[in-house]
Amino acid sequence: MTDEMPDTATGLDISGPPQEMYKLLRDHMPVMPIDHEMMQGTSVALHDDVVFVLQHPEIFSSDGAAEIGQVRPLIPLEIDPPGHSKYRKLLDPLFAPRRVADLESSTRELVNQLIDAVIDDGACNFHEAIGEPLPSQVFLTMFGLPVERTAEFVALKDGIIRPDGTDVDDEARLREETGQKIYSVLQEAIDERLEERRDDFISQFLDAEVDGHRLTTDDVLDIGFLFFLAGLDTVTASLDCMLAHLAQNPDDQRRLSENPSDIPAAVEELLRWETPVSGVIRVAVQDTELSGCPIAKGDKVAVNLGSANTDERFWDDADTVDFDREVNKHIAFGGGVHRCLGSHLARMELRVCLEEWHRRVPSYQLKPGTTPQYTMGLRNVDNLELVWEN
Amino acid sequence: MTEQASLRVAVDRERCQGHGRCYVLAPEVFEPDDDGYGYVISSEIPPALHDAARKGAGNCPEDAITISDVPS
Repeated sequence: MTDEMPDTATGLDISGPPQEMYKLLRDHMPVMPIDHEMMQGTSVALHDDVVFVLQHPEIFSSDGAAEIGQVRPLIPLEIDPPGHSKYRKLLDPLFAPRRVADLESSTRELVNQLIDAVIDDGACNFHEAIGEPLPSQVFLTMFGLPVERTAEFVALKDGIIRPDGTDVDDEARLREETGQKIYSVLQEAIDERLEERRDDFISQFLDAEVDGHRLTTDDVLDIGFLFFLAGLDTVTASLDCMLAHLAQNPDDQRRLSENPSDIPAAVEELLRWETPVSGVIRVAVQDTELSGCPIAKGDKVAVNLGSANTDERFWDDADTVDFDREVNKHIAFGGGVHRCLGSHLARMELRVCLEEWHRRVPSYQLKPGTTPQYTMGLRNVDNLELVWEN
Repeated sequence: MTEQASLRVAVDRERCQGHGRCYVLAPEVFEPDDDGYGYVISSEIPPALHDAARKGAGNCPEDAITISDVPS
């Protein structure tokens, strides 16, 4: 990714903790024009404006909002109501809490295998050892793609989200190339399931019916493309952000090691504070306004979820990370009809990982001399070096 | 002191987007359906569960849960 790539939520370069930048935006440019070669549009930083945009898909459409190498619609993300509900009706049960509960013990086992591989070393790059492989392997297994090829799939995903191009045009070209490779990987898996069904999502999609209609294989391909990108990187960013916070805040860390029952509340509060997926994009389908600022039909709107989640106009003690917060209506998973489909799965993975990590590595810190660097948009911490005593 | 009356709790199915906070935070009052959207187990909530009901309602990111007095 070129250095000039702006953050999806703000249009600005942020590689450290973003919360102060969010506050500057809210106080001085709550609705700000973005004029960048990668993105022209408007960023929105106030909580109430952000929630309004998310809850009004008839004004702020998702159709055509994302540019991630797809040549076909991302289903269901790029489908607005009423067509959207047809797909959600099909997909929601696959990610409902009851289904997710069935995956908990295998996820716990996987976390422990990943910890086994590094625990005796007393040090690891958390992103590489746990943050990236855990959600990728959980997802690939569910979806029906071969886990042995995890490294290859992770590289394809990175080729879309963080293309290593020389300029914007080169990056767009690389995204499209990688997108074609992903379509062909998915097509191959779909063809295999057309021959013989297995116990996986691809097989279930092929047999699913909504309102008496089967999904077409093209529908399955389009759903698969979005899941491929959404499933492999967002939990990674969440794990990285959470461990980076805990490594630097020993009181919070000790609390989770000593009181594992506080972990679910800690997951929610760290989702709020860190907002690992910092923003989403919508497109205005009519002339409108937000906080008195005009938004023209066709404008892209960068919706700053991280700023909304730390807006002191909405939150009490917005700047305090408080695991005892009584009310936590964070929108780290977005809101409105496009609320993250995988949120229940993500929450389970995050909780189980924090439980097992703190049970086995109760005290840890950043490797001295290192400073976490956050990638933009999806806030991974590639250089999260942790050390502990055995 | 008069005995506290029951409260009526309702999830607006149009507003609910399945975040699932209500049934995680107040499982005595809310349950998930097969799709992960919340519903109220029994719409009239006895006083012992009022705090739980308020906690579930107050944490809904879509403000989809309403609480009202049961008309006498």
